[in-house]
Amino acid sequence: MNLALIPLLIAALLMASTDPNIETVELVLNGTHQITEHRGALVVADAQVTVPSDEQVPGPIYVVGGELVVAGRISTDVIHLAGTVTVESGAEITGELQHIGGSQQVSASSQIGQRSSLGDSPAAGNPLVRIASLVFLTLTLAGVGRSLARRRISALHNVAGAISSHPIITFTVGTLLTLTFLSVFVFMAFTFILLPVAIVGLLAGAVTVAYGFIAWGDLIGRRLPVHRQDLSTAIGVVLAVAALQLLALLPLIGDLIALAVLLTGVGAVAVTYFGVASFTPELMPDEG
Amino acid sequence: MTRSPGGGGPHWGSGVIEADVALRRSRFFVGVPALGYLIYVAVLSAGYYYNLTFVQLGLIDLGTRLVGMPEGQVSVAMAALALLAFVVALVTGRVMDKRGWSSDLRVKFRILFVVVATQTVLTMVAPQVATPRQFGLWVMFSAVGIGAGIPVTFSLMIDFIPIRHRGYVAAVVTGLAFSAAALYPLEWRIDEFAPLMTLVMIPAAAALGVISFRRFAFVDELARQHERFGIGRFCRPTPIATASLAFWMLVIVMFSVFFIDSLGSLRIIDTPAYISTSWQSPSIGPRLFIAVAHVVGAAMAGVLYTSFGRRWLLVWIFGLFAFTHLLYTFHLGTSPAGMDPPLVLPLFYVLAVSFYTTLNFALWPDLSTPSTVGTNTALGVGIAGWLASFLSTALALYSISSGLSLLEHLRYVNALALLLAVAYPLVLYFRRMRTLATNPEST
Repeated sequence: MNLALIPLLIAALLMASTDPNIETVELVLNGTHQITEHRGALVVADAQVTVPSDEQVPGPIYVVGGELVVAGRISTDVIHLAGTVTVESGAEITGELQHIGGSQQVSASSQIGQRSSLGDSPAAGNPLVRIASLVFLTLTLAGVGRSLARRRISALHNVAGAISSHPIITFTVGTLLTLTFLSVFVFMAFTFILLPVAIVGLLAGAVTVAYGFIAWGDLIGRRLPVHRQDLSTAIGVVLAVAALQLLALLPLIGDLIALAVLLTGVGAVAVTYFGVASFTPELMPDEG
Repeated sequence: MTRSPGGGGPHWGSGVIEADVALRRSRFFVGVPALGYLIYVAVLSAGYYYNLTFVQLGLIDLGTRLVGMPEGQVSVAMAALALLAFVVALVTGRVMDKRGWSSDLRVKFRILFVVVATQTVLTMVAPQVATPRQFGLWVMFSAVGIGAGIPVTFSLMIDFIPIRHRGYVAAVVTGLAFSAAALYPLEWRIDEFAPLMTLVMIPAAAALGVISFRRFAFVDELARQHERFGIGRFCRPTPIATASLAFWMLVIVMFSVFFIDSLGSLRIIDTPAYISTSWQSPSIGPRLFIAVAHVVGAAMAGVLYTSFGRRWLLVWIFGLFAFTHLLYTFHLGTSPAGMDPPLVLPLFYVLAVSFYTTLNFALWPDLSTPSTVGTNTALGVGIAGWLASFLSTALALYSISSGLSLLEHLRYVNALALLLAVAYPLVLYFRRMRTLATNPEST
């Protein structure tokens, strides 16, 4: 499953949890499926799901990735957060087709109770908006980095030191933690009761990723001819973001390198207890 | 005068000749340890693959399908195999330590040769086993082979692998054994396994026979390596006694891990919806995914074993198992009918299995010295590995024969996994608390 879908999945579950009519939620993670027997809400993740022309499903259906093809009838709403929704000729959505993100193909001869769209604002898809968001994120990270370098420079150095001295260990720990905790949070979200815990966990995860990334910025900043540590860290963060943007131009390999950078940062934050202590691996005894 | 490293004849002559000999010696010394790594990885990964698939899974097929015995009786036979293998392992390990064979590589090679030769014959005759009596005899000889093989093979680490590389080499063995098992597209049928395994085992037995009974310089060199790194990582500076609480705590913990794994996995692989979409999927994609996950999981475990204390790795293992079984029970209770289970289910299973298997290869030699490695590996692998796996396999078969549903069965496994995932960190925490209370300066 695409890890980038997890926040959307949690968002979908959050929406579902606020609907008093929903008792159960089913998740389709991958593969190609035709929905014939179904009760409760359905979340379409990385899969291709078809509602056949002779079938009626109660819904609601949340699409967070993959593709939903509606040829039959959905008795309630379709909430489209990402991925693709295709409503074929003769298909019917009794409730509302809410478009928040992703692409849609809706046949003119289909019947839809109501349509609404949050994603069709002029800003959506505008490259200037994307650049502005990136600049805002970069400046925020650089600002936090500068503040950390002023107040907790030793903590930042501990995390950066773990990255530079033990990249394989920190990458391993980061990968394991990310994989496990992301899955645990998704699992928690499905219980509904633990949904707030999952959201808090995801936010904590985002903070950890940001902290690790700032430590990368600190590492880069230390190699710059800038004497003020806070400034060098902030510039380092900006350069790190720029490097990731350049890497993104390389298909697949760029994404993998970027992921490795972020996971290494997460691992470094974890093994240093958020920078409280420097990390030293277990010492092997002398042989001989 | 310069003597060749292989103990050959003396050389007299100019400095040129001496330099040449020195150069050849240095190459020799670089090559021989690498050969030790190769032998270790080949023996352990092939041995683990054989016992993992051919014996544990093939035995069920042999008993139930070929011989036609009820599952209950096969489960009794498996439990008997586990017990007998354990007893033989323990006796072999004790004898190895008492007679000094644990630190004598030549003797270990000879025992290994006998074990491999026996297992080759057993593999060849397996498809011909037709009656419960023959099945009983096959199980008995198989148990003797496994039992004798456990302390011999697992103790080879002290001869071949320096301490700092043990986690990584254990990871290579685990990755190879499990990825081969995942990629090899056979059903777990003994008549399909037997011919192929025989083809591989005959040359392996022949090679072992040659290096066991003929004198080779490289074997002499390898046989001396335990003097440098035979004392395990956790035995420095003070060796851990076999009778100590520290050793037995680990035996109990590892027993629990193996027990939970087999108890859950035997029912999962018996469920077509799960097995046909993962370990025995007709398409290569899921099996390749599992093979890669095994390799990645083992590599992670190798890094963690080398860089952190063993307790952290155990905490992760229990956590992963608890989460895996939660995922399976959750999926069983909520998945829509006819929908393929997601690969995240086997992914976590595979990670947990790779973690504990890597730990199992490295842990027991690292808890031993050359004079205790036979007994310790026999106890560790025998109790924690074989006894736990086969007892839980027998229990899983009993649960099938008594009509317990998969969901019900996994609930028990889940409860055990969760209990251990919570209890183990708590035990560690209270042990630390007791240490601090009795010795406040130990912070």
